[in-house]
Amino acid sequence: MTRSEPSSSAPSNGPLESPNGSAELDETSLEADGASEGDGATDGTADDEGERRRDTEYAHLVPLLSEFAALEADDPRREALRDELVEGYLPVARHIARRFSNRGEPMDDLVQVATVGLINAVDRFQPDRGSDFFSFAVPTISGEVRRHFRDQGWSMRVPRRLKDLHVSINATVSELSQGLGRAPRPSEIAAKLGVPVADVLEGLEAAQAYRSSSLDEMLTSEEGGATLGDLLGEADAELERVEYQQALEPLLGELPERERTIVMLRFFGNLTQTQIADRVGISQMHVSRLLAQTLVKLRHRLEAE
Amino acid sequence: MSVAHPGPTVVELRISARPTLIPTVRTVASDLAGRADFDLDAISDLRMAVDEACTTLVRLTTEDDTLTCVFTVDNESIGVSVSTRPGWLGAKVSTESFGWRVLQTLADEVQAHEGNDGDPDSIGIAMVKRLGAVQ
Repeated sequence: MTRSEPSSSAPSNGPLESPNGSAELDETSLEADGASEGDGATDGTADDEGERRRDTEYAHLVPLLSEFAALEADDPRREALRDELVEGYLPVARHIARRFSNRGEPMDDLVQVATVGLINAVDRFQPDRGSDFFSFAVPTISGEVRRHFRDQGWSMRVPRRLKDLHVSINATVSELSQGLGRAPRPSEIAAKLGVPVADVLEGLEAAQAYRSSSLDEMLTSEEGGATLGDLLGEADAELERVEYQQALEPLLGELPERERTIVMLRFFGNLTQTQIADRVGISQMHVSRLLAQTLVKLRHRLEAE
Repeated sequence: MSVAHPGPTVVELRISARPTLIPTVRTVASDLAGRADFDLDAISDLRMAVDEACTTLVRLTTEDDTLTCVFTVDNESIGVSVSTRPGWLGAKVSTESFGWRVLQTLADEVQAHEGNDGDPDSIGIAMVKRLGAVQ
């Protein structure tokens, strides 16, 4: 999963671009949390030392939390305040993301998931309940990251080497596709990565064990809306030409918008997966997975009719 | 990647006509396409096409019947022929379905056939995916 394109890089582009340095602060300020070594059985607990440090570190944000929580849902000041809070607490999200960094997921993805968790924490935190933000946010953020692993982790045991290879293949595929204007061949990926073709084939096969990424879902569901609608209009004309539209159309309507778009573009718009990936802003491998899953879903539904 | 082969390579799989075995066939399909250096779109297309064709035929036969999948790989293309015995009188592959549309899109050529060389009673789907075919 590479998300190098700025347009799809995060739910909100702002918070990820924090000034250099702020990300480093958390090494000390969140020590108590960092001590829990990865899986975080001790999430949310903190020793006094760590608590004191981070209290001073983030002290200026505490009044903002109360202010934010007190605003009405439609208050125009909400957005700016929310951005400020998310940005301010971003080191916490980064820190938690880093704790999961040895599991074969790209760091960028982890930071993004953690940031989504942080946004949720900021939105849901209720200062009047008397607890401090960290004891609420840390489990919320790690929960989000853990959910990411659960939802789109590997569906079978895959050796670490292959997971790493999967990550590099995925990145290379995006890069090569840009240059070639089509999906690369295994030999091209191998040449680019400087590994034997056999390894690439193995990595591609392993990719089949990788579950669909709801991360992509999160990142593209809101922003891409308008353009997806445009694309759909295009594909609709194609759909009109087929005879079985009565049966199919309602089923397509039940699909999540992006899956529907992908199916329409592939089977009625005749775009390749790489072209679709480019237009929808996700990786070719992800398009491939979504298409395969959606076909199975449609098949079952058509069968049930 | 042209390897000097005397002729096309043939891989034939005979499986019980059960849905649980389709992933095996589809894995063979994508493995062959990968080794033939098809681009990733084409590998994925072939994989889905084989899945669709096998699923279609498994539904038209009984679990005790056999599904035969023949892959013919040459330097330019992979041919896939999937066939079985119809599970009931008149069972045949529909070319009016969404599934057929899917096959037409995924493969460069696709044909439904009733009866083939060895077995006049068989039903099947034959398709060709070309290396480097664009769209």
